Amino acid sequence: MIAGHFALAAGVKARERAVPLWALMLATQWLDVVFVPLFIAKIETIDVIGGGGYGGGIIHADYTHSLVGAMVLSALFGLCGGLRWGRRAAGILGGVAFSHWILDLLVHRHDMPIWPGAPAGALRVGLGLWRWPLVTAAVELALVLWGGFTYFRAAVGVARAHGPSKLRRARIAGATVIVAGLLTLGLSVAGQ
Amino acid sequence: MSFFLGLILFVVVAGIIDAKLPWPRPGRRPEPRP
Repeated sequence: MIAGHFALAAGVKARERAVPLWALMLATQWLDVVFVPLFIAKIETIDVIGGGGYGGGIIHADYTHSLVGAMVLSALFGLCGGLRWGRRAAGILGGVAFSHWILDLLVHRHDMPIWPGAPAGALRVGLGLWRWPLVTAAVELALVLWGGFTYFRAAVGVARAHGPSKLRRARIAGATVIVAGLLTLGLSVAGQ
Repeated sequence: MSFFLGLILFVVVAGIIDAKLPWPRPGRRPEPRP
């Protein structure tokens, strides 16, 4: 799941308007951002199954996607945001960062451990929605539409009192979020 | 590819456009909604 994470952050922005959108977007993908260098270093890996593609993998991300690892990484992100934008933003950004683990819990195929570096036989969680790609794509599409249009409405609402130039920019921002969500989801479902 | 495209579109492009909107500033008490 990629687009769904971004969509959730867009929905949060509509409610928590003081937190910058870029920080929410970075927060929602923070676990995967940390995953990338670990994947390149072969510390965390993906076993491709069923030809790969959308959700076609067992992901061994024991540091970034274990429950405790995700909590630590989310707390660190929240702390960094808190230093810049205050205590409330810290809680919001930490929560959005951890929401990645919650959404991944729905789709991952029983490959998320509780502790980083858990042995092979240790408890791993994941409800495995990826076994049904069409259902997963439908859930993700619903998230993209909800997050995109919720953000669009909030952006237009906040700009309305500040003149036509701001209103135009708000519509562009909202459209960008919706189009980016659909594009990201489409590429993701296509296995790219 | 979708991951990196998403980061560019959402964090950079949408983030830059959104930053020019008159959202309330962080750390300030939110204004009552209309």
